[in-house]
Amino acid sequence: MSPAYILKRVLLIGYTLLVVSLIVFAITQILPADAAVMMLGENATPDALAALRTKMGLNDPIWMQYLHWLGGVVRGDFGVSMRTGQPVAPAMIEALGRSLLLALFSILLMLAVAIPLGIVAAVRRGRAADLGVSFLSYIGVSVPEFVTATLVVLVLADWLQWLPATGYVPLTEDPLRGLKHLVLPVLTVSMILIAHVSRMVRSELVDVLHSDYIRAARLKGLSKRQVLFKHGLRNALLPTITIVALDVGYLLGGVIVVEEIFALPGIGRQLIVAIQARDLPSIQAGALIMATTYAVANFLADICYAWLDRRIQYD
Amino acid sequence: MIEILRRMLRSPQGALGLVIVGLILLVVIAGPWVAPQDPEKMAPLMRYKPPSAQFWLGTDQYGRDILSRLLHGARATVVMAVLATALGTLVGAVIGTVSAFLGGRSDEAIMRTVDAIMSIPSLLLALLIVNLLGKSSLNALLAIALAFAPGMARVTRSVALSVRKQDYVNAAVARGESAAFIVGREMLPNVVAPIIVEMTIRVAFAVMLFATLSFLGLGAQPPASEWGLMVSEARRFMHLSAWMILWPSLAIALVAIGFNLLGDGLRDALNPRT
Amino acid sequence: MPSIHRRDFLAASAALSGLALSGVPAFAQTPRRGGTLRVSVDQAVSKLNPLVTRVNPEYLVAELLYSNLTRLKPDMSAEPDLAESWTNSADLTEWTFALRKGLSFHDGSPCTAADVVATFEAILDAKTASPARQNVGPIAKVVAKDDATVVFSLSAPFADLPVTLAYTNAKIVPAAVIKGGLQKLDREAVGTGPFKLVSFEPERQIVVARNDAYYDKDRPYLDRIEILVFPDVSAEASALIAGDTDLISTTPPTEFGRLQKASGVKALRVPSGQFCNVNFGCDQKPFNDVRVRQALALTVDRAAMVDFVTEGFGSPGNDTPLNPAYRFYADLPAKKADIAKAKALLAEAGYPKGLEATLIASDRPGQRTQLAVALREMAKPAGFDIKVETMPHATYLDQVWKKGSFYVGFYNMQATADAIFSLLYTSNAAWNETRWNNAAFDKVVFEARATVDETKRRALYAEAQKLMNAEVPSIIPAFFDLLGAQREWVEGYQLHPRGAVFRLDHVSLGANAPKRS
Repeated sequence: MSPAYILKRVLLIGYTLLVVSLIVFAITQILPADAAVMMLGENATPDALAALRTKMGLNDPIWMQYLHWLGGVVRGDFGVSMRTGQPVAPAMIEALGRSLLLALFSILLMLAVAIPLGIVAAVRRGRAADLGVSFLSYIGVSVPEFVTATLVVLVLADWLQWLPATGYVPLTEDPLRGLKHLVLPVLTVSMILIAHVSRMVRSELVDVLHSDYIRAARLKGLSKRQVLFKHGLRNALLPTITIVALDVGYLLGGVIVVEEIFALPGIGRQLIVAIQARDLPSIQAGALIMATTYAVANFLADICYAWLDRRIQYD
Repeated sequence: MIEILRRMLRSPQGALGLVIVGLILLVVIAGPWVAPQDPEKMAPLMRYKPPSAQFWLGTDQYGRDILSRLLHGARATVVMAVLATALGTLVGAVIGTVSAFLGGRSDEAIMRTVDAIMSIPSLLLALLIVNLLGKSSLNALLAIALAFAPGMARVTRSVALSVRKQDYVNAAVARGESAAFIVGREMLPNVVAPIIVEMTIRVAFAVMLFATLSFLGLGAQPPASEWGLMVSEARRFMHLSAWMILWPSLAIALVAIGFNLLGDGLRDALNPRT
Repeated sequence: MPSIHRRDFLAASAALSGLALSGVPAFAQTPRRGGTLRVSVDQAVSKLNPLVTRVNPEYLVAELLYSNLTRLKPDMSAEPDLAESWTNSADLTEWTFALRKGLSFHDGSPCTAADVVATFEAILDAKTASPARQNVGPIAKVVAKDDATVVFSLSAPFADLPVTLAYTNAKIVPAAVIKGGLQKLDREAVGTGPFKLVSFEPERQIVVARNDAYYDKDRPYLDRIEILVFPDVSAEASALIAGDTDLISTTPPTEFGRLQKASGVKALRVPSGQFCNVNFGCDQKPFNDVRVRQALALTVDRAAMVDFVTEGFGSPGNDTPLNPAYRFYADLPAKKADIAKAKALLAEAGYPKGLEATLIASDRPGQRTQLAVALREMAKPAGFDIKVETMPHATYLDQVWKKGSFYVGFYNMQATADAIFSLLYTSNAAWNETRWNNAAFDKVVFEARATVDETKRRALYAEAQKLMNAEVPSIIPAFFDLLGAQREWVEGYQLHPRGAVFRLDHVSLGANAPKRS
């Protein structure tokens, strides 16, 4: 893994964000909404509107507005929310923190469940356990989050009353209540992840277990268990890392719905609220932050992969 | 063709997928005719009924027959998802193939841009596009198609790259054929099979995405019996009748499972190595 | 059917809500002091400035932090708030209010007649954009006679002033704040209310704590109130059933049955004048033709609509905003569905083949869509082809409300007949969303507000209702009973038929309430 490779990847992230910023800016510019009217309200006088338009630079050519906005973004200034009148960046960063917490717990749960499931299915390939895991994973990838979310709320929160249905309590305010509120969202988000990753682990492991060097290891007299854990698993988990990173993309899309249903004020819910209220600066900031998260996750996964598997050559 | 079908029927996924998707197609085609009731007919005295001989799946908040609504809604749900995927695939396939054909710096530039677009989650991209276009089923279709295009472009390109190295493409280049001819007549047809596999799996995803957009109030509008919208509406009444939410949820899941299985089955059938 | 008098009606409603209104109040023994109450609301509290709040959760918070001159009792009459007492001139054009002594704002500064004057000047200034402007009555001038006396001079005789001064947006704010710019109140609260603002997260929770300097030495009984925002009404009900919250301010009929069955929960119900309506832009085709509006009104099966929209917790409407919950309700013949007549009217208006229209319904509360879809189906046989379009509430408020020509509205009961008419239906109404602009209607409403004689006034309001009933500026198919719920340990809470009044300073927690820090 050469420094040149890392540099190239970092440059690519920069390019990605530039493209995303262009797309997002373009979309928000065409969205039917007059920023000045939205900020001053419908009872504003025409004079006041004109003054605000000039002040906000709404009369400038589009490309100037874009450069102006981009300049602010580079300095960490995403503008002021049209809905709340507060700076966008702090609110979005705070929301991102909550979403990352949701994502972190979901990934941990996924790892704890998906890898053992995948191993069991691979080792018992073709038998009942394998079919069971396979069946469950088909269901897992095929049920949309909003359905899962609705059903877990109905059963676990309303009928059994084990957990609060929605809402959010900061862990710093009351750790126990905070965790309780996170259980259902985490369960929902990790469902698809578990289904996806356990399938991946299984098929990679099946491939590896049939490879020549594993056969060789068996011939050397190593026990089945040793072969599985020392050689098989390590090689099977490598591709899984990439899959997990790619799943971050799904994860980010998924949290939009899950946060909306569970009223968890993370970045996904902020985005929906912003989109519904046509709060352009918040939409721009939210979309850009999501794309950044995705790009960075992919970058880290690539670095991890390269570091773990030195055999891979890079140009 | 027959060979592929036979191979598919031999694998459990393929067989099950074919059966489920076949059933779904049947419902899409014949659903409105076999529906026992008018899906929009309200019956004030028959609200929130559990399944019975008269209403096999029960009734909803207006006393409408849920089975009839599901049967009618299959078109709105499945056909739209298939169309959206097909459109997204078409756009993606053209971009991917062109990129692979051009190669070199143009290829690099196109693919990096596609990667960049892919870093916006497809649901978010679809949300933004629907808001831009205004909410309706048709716009949701376009949004999903556009959200799918980059991913399909990536898949097509990798397939097309291997095709490009084939002799018949080189031969066409040597003959001095135009770029459009080579991409359209020589390359595209040969990348079709793997793309169909990818597409089938994506239909499952499109069904879910479509339902999610409707669920968020951005796709189909009431009183349409699109399944995602049915779930969304039923949420308000879930304490008066849980059946209302169960059936459309199951229907969505079944369609997604069907297309996932079919896609996996197709892949295995086309790729006998594994 | 004889007209129901308000007193009987309210007694009946009190019995329904499970609270004894006549006889001994439910909170007869001294209320326990202290404790934290958790109240849940179903919408974000985005506006904190009490002069511009516009939805119930915002009213709830504003009421805790600020005071009016008067406040509205559950029987819709006025009682003293910052004003201790009041008198009026014989011709009803001059009203004098005496303030309590030693009032102070949360920042410690005294609250005097000058603040009251400044507040009303701000309210009457169009630039403030306060809904109170058109709802506090025909105020021409407000003068401070001395530090504790305020005189209201009216441009016309007006009998309801003490009641309209209790309007949700007529809350007194410091003159100094008004001078420095009202935007200060967007994030903080400087009021005279029973509670002080502790924290404000518009979409999650608002916390207030007891104001020790409140003018009443006994109230409030609670130390602290947490207002929790639940965007999902089902989750809101679940939280109460689980004991995480103590009180739900408003709950939809779809959750009510579950709350009635839950143990430890008391479900609350009170008849009200709250309604859902279909607004016509009476200045735009096709609804500028009265026959089209009448035709659509004739397609509505109102009994079925009560079921569809209120799940049976309501009563049929007659296209006027008054129902028996109002003092001046006139008992007109109930409208019945008549498809043949509707068709004939539509043909007469030039639409023999029927007509297409897009009905817009915001997604909150869900009853709006429910009404829209039911209307679509009912109107179909008469030739109306209605397309229903739903949208997020914020988008609706910004793009459709008061501007659209065919959409579903949802309104609280107002304190008086005059208040509801001049909020929505007169030509100069604050929210003149129908643009009906009927001169005859304006005239009777205006006359009625200056009339002291009860019989004459009743006749005038009956005339106003007849006009609305005949010309249908909006279809009002059903009225809602207000529904709420509380834990049994909550004492002294009474569901207010107005829907926008909560009086949580009268609430206390019983001995078995959970301790919350």
